[in-house]
Amino acid sequence: MLQVACVAVFAALSISFWFLQIVENARYEEMAQNNHQRTLALRAPRGVLYDRDGKVLVENRHSFSISIVREHTKDLDRTIRMLAEVAGLNIDDVRAVVARHRSEPSYRPIVVVDDASLAQVAAITARRLDFELPDVVVEEVPTRQYPGEGIAAHLFGYVGEVSDTMVAADESLKSGDLVGQAGIEKIYNPMLMGKDGAKVVVVNSLGREIRTLEEVPPTEGKRLQLTIDYDIQKAVDDGFKAAREARLTNAGAAVVLNPNTGEVLAFASEPAFDPNAFAAGIDRATWASLTTDEQRPLNDRALQGRYSPGSTFKMAVALAGLQEGVITPDFQVHCGGAANFYGRTFKCWLKRGHGTTDLRHAIEQSCDVYFYTVANILGIDKINKWATALGLGVKSNIDLPNEVTGLVPSTEWKREKMHEKWYAGETISVGIGQGQVSVTPVSMAVYAATLANGGTRVTPHLLKAVDEGGNGWKPVAAPEPQSKVEVDHAKLQAIRDGMWGVVNGGGTGNRARVLGFDVAGKTGTSQVISNAGRVAAARSGKDLRDNGWFVFFAPRDNPEIAGVVFLEHGVHGPNAARVARHILATFYAKKLGNPLPPPPTPKDMQFDFSDPYGPGHMPGTEPQTDEPVNVTN
Amino acid sequence: MLERRLYYHVDWAMIAGIFALCAIGVAQIFSATGGFTRIYYTQIYGIIIGIFAMAICLTIDYRSLADKSHWIYLAVLLLLMYVLFFGAVRGGSRRWIDLGVVNLQPSEFAKAALALVLAKFFGESRRGAITREDLAIAGALTAVPLLLVARQPDLGTAVTLIPVGFAIAYVAGMPMRIIGILALVGVLVAPVAWKFALKDYQKERISTFLDPSQDSKGAGYQQIQARITVGSGGLWGKGFTKGTQGQLRFLPVAHNDFIFSVLAEEQGFAGVLVTLGLYLFVILRALEAARLAKDRLGAYLVLGVLASFTFQVIYNVTMSAGLAPVKGLTLPLMSYGGSSMIATLAAFGLILNVRMRRFTN
Repeated sequence: MLQVACVAVFAALSISFWFLQIVENARYEEMAQNNHQRTLALRAPRGVLYDRDGKVLVENRHSFSISIVREHTKDLDRTIRMLAEVAGLNIDDVRAVVARHRSEPSYRPIVVVDDASLAQVAAITARRLDFELPDVVVEEVPTRQYPGEGIAAHLFGYVGEVSDTMVAADESLKSGDLVGQAGIEKIYNPMLMGKDGAKVVVVNSLGREIRTLEEVPPTEGKRLQLTIDYDIQKAVDDGFKAAREARLTNAGAAVVLNPNTGEVLAFASEPAFDPNAFAAGIDRATWASLTTDEQRPLNDRALQGRYSPGSTFKMAVALAGLQEGVITPDFQVHCGGAANFYGRTFKCWLKRGHGTTDLRHAIEQSCDVYFYTVANILGIDKINKWATALGLGVKSNIDLPNEVTGLVPSTEWKREKMHEKWYAGETISVGIGQGQVSVTPVSMAVYAATLANGGTRVTPHLLKAVDEGGNGWKPVAAPEPQSKVEVDHAKLQAIRDGMWGVVNGGGTGNRARVLGFDVAGKTGTSQVISNAGRVAAARSGKDLRDNGWFVFFAPRDNPEIAGVVFLEHGVHGPNAARVARHILATFYAKKLGNPLPPPPTPKDMQFDFSDPYGPGHMPGTEPQTDEPVNVTN
Repeated sequence: MLERRLYYHVDWAMIAGIFALCAIGVAQIFSATGGFTRIYYTQIYGIIIGIFAMAICLTIDYRSLADKSHWIYLAVLLLLMYVLFFGAVRGGSRRWIDLGVVNLQPSEFAKAALALVLAKFFGESRRGAITREDLAIAGALTAVPLLLVARQPDLGTAVTLIPVGFAIAYVAGMPMRIIGILALVGVLVAPVAWKFALKDYQKERISTFLDPSQDSKGAGYQQIQARITVGSGGLWGKGFTKGTQGQLRFLPVAHNDFIFSVLAEEQGFAGVLVTLGLYLFVILRALEAARLAKDRLGAYLVLGVLASFTFQVIYNVTMSAGLAPVKGLTLPLMSYGGSSMIATLAAFGLILNVRMRRFTN
């Protein structure tokens, strides 16, 4: 009887084990795996960015992140306290970080320190070996490395942790991913991001890694070659640096293009920021200082700043007049220093007047009365038509995010937006790029390029080639032009001659002269405030100094380079022209294989803060202190 | 002493079964502790000493041993009392006598001593029927070492003394009625005991057994991990030293209380069946020895020893699968523990002794 009982009991035990090990096996096997296997994400390095010559612009460096994995933690607060002490962190900050991620699965590491110092890494690693902090992991992660001094910061943009709304919208993204938040990083994010790998490791009950079970290496993001020429970009940067060191201005923008293709050779907005500050998670103080800075360094002035073009607009009026058959290049206007339209007097910037001028000289001397007159004959809608054809008041459609549109007014625009009729008198100021006209620097670069290439509104673009991995570099076709207009060559040549005169004749842009190269350009000085308002606001402390423009292309015939330099409160165009000269000199020196020219010095900038509209002042007629550079010798 | 004739009556099959289980135990200890560690060698030494103890218990006629059983019993009681005052403390309990090189756990020897003294008491009883007086004496003989062990505290080992008392009293003719009454008393006393007698950690163990998930990091942790360990083994297991639960210490004291879980994980259901089969074989052979015993003393002795052994095996195996509350109760012949191994092998020496001498006078 006892035998039977024993057999029965053992049979019951066997059945219990059969149930656990055979019937329920899958469930327990999974639980056992969750116990001892941990999947660690291996972050993919983002694609490296090269300039058009193959120089590395943006790459990746290795940084260390320190995280807590709570999965096997019994006393989380003890871990936090120890970690804070060992790594020298503020304990409340650590607690706040952990609290923020509390709802996430416990196997997911909570990153406490993003870019840990080597001392922190060493301290943590030592404690981990002692089993004191088995639930703290140190991971090596690739981190974006941008060139120093904020060069091309707005062009590159920056990276940051993906937002929850983005994760919800795009299933290829997951919480914690780093994505581009601005600039190239944002617009080419899908290519640059790469694919994270994973490492499955065996951990013991203390959470310590024992061995690696399986490793899927991360796939690096695609490497991109940009159209940017680092040397030109650097020239732009050096030009702004000179203006900044001269205490002239630290704000502005510059865009330099190949006028035939739309390739962007340089793209800058000032003041800049350091994208490296974002690379491993920006700290609160840096972020606050960037967002509260009155100069708004995060703002991309080249793409999002709207400014009056001033005299640089005159070529648009000239082309409209010529193409609409309203004037010929020989059309003459007498300038006596002012002219009367619709019962109101419009002054020329030169009080004593330019006398009788034709189109070429009107451009060269930037005669206001001439363009008042032409604008008056044309009417606003014809000006609008041709300004648009040249790229003003419309988006350039450059491959950068959040471009804004400038404005070239029209009767239709005023009716729609203001519900008012356009008055003919309003056209007069538009003739010299004042009044309602506003443009972005990038559209001004397109404007210069379109004048240079004879009517093709090229699409500025930054992507030159994509590394297809095994298949090598695959060139990216230039985007189609935005529009193309037939322009009479002889008529356009008159405008170009005028622009050539600006730089090489007695014009306002001769500070941009590069000997041996037919640089054509046009300065512009646009008022930030009306003359009357200026007097009233003079003591407000606001910077009311004029903005300075210089649009250019070179050489005059068959141009190879075109662009714009804009100095916010840079007083007047000639300072912008000085920056442009350095850009052009660099371009040609490089083309000819000569040593690159030295950067401009603060002394090269003009310190004439007097009112350019005041008596006796004539931009461009000041005694020249600097000799034109000669890059041919 | 051992006559040549007796040699032929030794139950070699049972000995083979016993040492097969010891070998499986050693192998799993090797796996669970990561090789040739101190623990591994201690177990080997335990088995070697145990073989000597077994030989001694086999050689001396069990009747002579029974004649001296009161001395053995008293000696064990003295050791238990000594432990209470001077024993080495580990993990909050005083269970061991520190002998320098080895630690002796007298409570392990209490089972065999109790079986001997009770077998002698009932077996030599002249009266045909069992009296209340007899039961009271038997109860007292069981209760004294039980209380001493429970005071250490080592409730697990203390409880293993109860089957010894019951088994011998039962076969000696204790009426079923008494067992019923005792069970009833147990049910009535349980709530009182819950309130006054049990320590907090003991209460916690019982309540977490009923719902392990309420404390998955604490007391319920072991139970959940035990179930995962066994369940993840599957039919053929993860392979020798390839288990994850035991190897990576998710299951605590894997080489000791949970040795069977480790076996189930690494050798699978197949290994479990083989091992359970061996235990059943050994138990059935022992029952056979009891049946064949020449006298009541022998039968009682075998059953007393076997009851404690069987109880411990069944409880531990059930616990290993996470199906019983976690108790510090080892699996005899397989779990790590020198004293347990020596005492168990000695006890089997007694069983072999009884069978071997079934024809002698």
